[in-house]
Amino acid sequence: MSIIEVKNLTKTYHDTEIPVHAVNGIDLNIEEGEFTAIVGPSGCGKTTLMNMIGGLEKPTSGEVRVDGSVMSELSSHDLIDFRLKNIGFVFQAYNLIPVLTAKENVEFIMQLQNWDKKKMDERTVSLLKSVGLEDKIHNKPNQLSGGQQQRVAVARALASKPKFVLADEPTANLDSSATNQLLDIMERLNREEKITFIFATHDQRVMDKARRVITLDDGKVISDTK
Amino acid sequence: MVLMKIAWRSIWRSKVRSSVVILAIAFGLLGGLFSSAWMNGMADQRVQDTFDLETGHIQIHHPDFPENEDVKYTINEIKDKLAQLRSYPEVKAVTQRIRVVGMAATANKNMGVSITGIDPEAEKSVFALNQKVDTITGDFFAEDKRNQIVISRALAAELKAKVKSKIVLTFQDYHGEITGAAFKVVGIFKTDNTPWDKLHVFVRNRDLGRVLEIPEDQAHEIVVRIGNFEEAPRIRQELAGIFPELLVEDWAELSPYVRLMSGYMDTMMALFMVIILGALGFGIVNTMLMVVLERTKELGMLMAIGMTRRRIFLMILFETVFLALVGAVVGEILSVLVIHYFGQTGIDLSNYAEGMESVGYSAMTYPMLEPYRYIQITILVVITAIVASIYPALKALKLEPAEAIRTL
Repeated sequence: MSIIEVKNLTKTYHDTEIPVHAVNGIDLNIEEGEFTAIVGPSGCGKTTLMNMIGGLEKPTSGEVRVDGSVMSELSSHDLIDFRLKNIGFVFQAYNLIPVLTAKENVEFIMQLQNWDKKKMDERTVSLLKSVGLEDKIHNKPNQLSGGQQQRVAVARALASKPKFVLADEPTANLDSSATNQLLDIMERLNREEKITFIFATHDQRVMDKARRVITLDDGKVISDTK
Repeated sequence: MVLMKIAWRSIWRSKVRSSVVILAIAFGLLGGLFSSAWMNGMADQRVQDTFDLETGHIQIHHPDFPENEDVKYTINEIKDKLAQLRSYPEVKAVTQRIRVVGMAATANKNMGVSITGIDPEAEKSVFALNQKVDTITGDFFAEDKRNQIVISRALAAELKAKVKSKIVLTFQDYHGEITGAAFKVVGIFKTDNTPWDKLHVFVRNRDLGRVLEIPEDQAHEIVVRIGNFEEAPRIRQELAGIFPELLVEDWAELSPYVRLMSGYMDTMMALFMVIILGALGFGIVNTMLMVVLERTKELGMLMAIGMTRRRIFLMILFETVFLALVGAVVGEILSVLVIHYFGQTGIDLSNYAEGMESVGYSAMTYPMLEPYRYIQITILVVITAIVASIYPALKALKLEPAEAIRTL
């Protein structure tokens, strides 16, 4: 069953004299439970495609349908709510809230959805345990290594039980050991809990773990291997 | 709740910058509150002196007396009226006075003066002139002897008189005849209002009434002291109903200058605080704009993961209000300490005493600020912070999450 349907999606930037077609007529479907990498050289449109799938940017034409909802048809407020409930984000630079502890960062997403405190506590501890950080729950981001911060970011992304997780270059700032650890965790979560992961990456280690690799160039899909 | 937590902790991310803003607010408020307390202290002293030495809280006269202070316009059956007033629950003290305008003369000089005949004991319960008398050289009618007079140091200097000197008072009596009598100086007073001092002399109303030939049981003036001077207009109205044939006036009507001072200080304080808080507001706007600029990426991330624009707005609003409130609390604590200290020791402006006393102000000022002013200021600071947060918050709301996240 397709969780994401992308139809003839284009994004053209008119910031310069010559229009830039960052995404140029892409069609693809992502099935529930996939562990997919979108790869390609810098500037090929990976991040733009991810942003449109995540509802962070509006397409110039075409549509992204997530679980039946057309993203571009949602109002600004509904889109934020949709992202909160359905999409988990992992960013290259971790982007945790620096003044909150690991636990508070993970809880934050659930607090925005007014979760019951007891359920929130249980889920937070369980998520941090699943990413191997049960002993760091009261540490603030500046007391964690890059790999640990990214694992907190994964736990945060999963907090609201999203339909899928978008991870944009999640390993770009990590060393080999931290990368392997992170990928192992995400692969396990995908395998055991059927969480759909979509990566934008040019990291070979991610490509090696992915079960589907979509290659982009000049805003178009040039290969899609499973 | 989580927004408040983030807002509060965010203040301390840049400790130096936040401390600078907090200190700016604190010292701004200290300056504003201390200046206000100083002005307030000066005004309060002037207002209090007016009550204690000049007007009391409420005065009652024959309706025609204030026009030109003609001695014929007396209040009849004064004892009954005093008794009636004393039984009135809100009246603390009451006294009667005989007044006449005349000349005070010594061998050296003549001066025009306002002569007030008083009952020394009752006078002490309404006025505080007795406390202004130099007790080393004299007293305030301590001995019950005839024709004693208490004059001011300023008048004594003009007339070249001192304690035990003789002063001849001349004036028109009840029948319109020029009359006079010699009085012996028993006390010399000094207030903070030199022009008033030069104009006023005090004798026993028994002595003055005899020379003026005022009929028994009559006087020109009843002065009333009440518990709370702010209640004077209401009580005046009630007393006017009790004595419809007499003119009953409260302190504000008797001394429009004091009424002006009282209102003027409130206006001045408000103006002071508006200027200070306005300047602080711009400082806060500047700081919060820097905060938004520095946290563009973080704000983009928060929007991306599902934080609504309303919550972003609230988070910036909370941070601004917390920052301003910390500054306000520090400023108010400093202000309480400084105002309390100078409220006890006073601010000594003896070098300018002559000038200040020529317009009725004491050279020694005791700053004071009513507790409710601190609450007012806190509310004003919160309002300023809310207003100051709007522009930075709107800036933050204009961010597009995808672009903001890309920010370095």
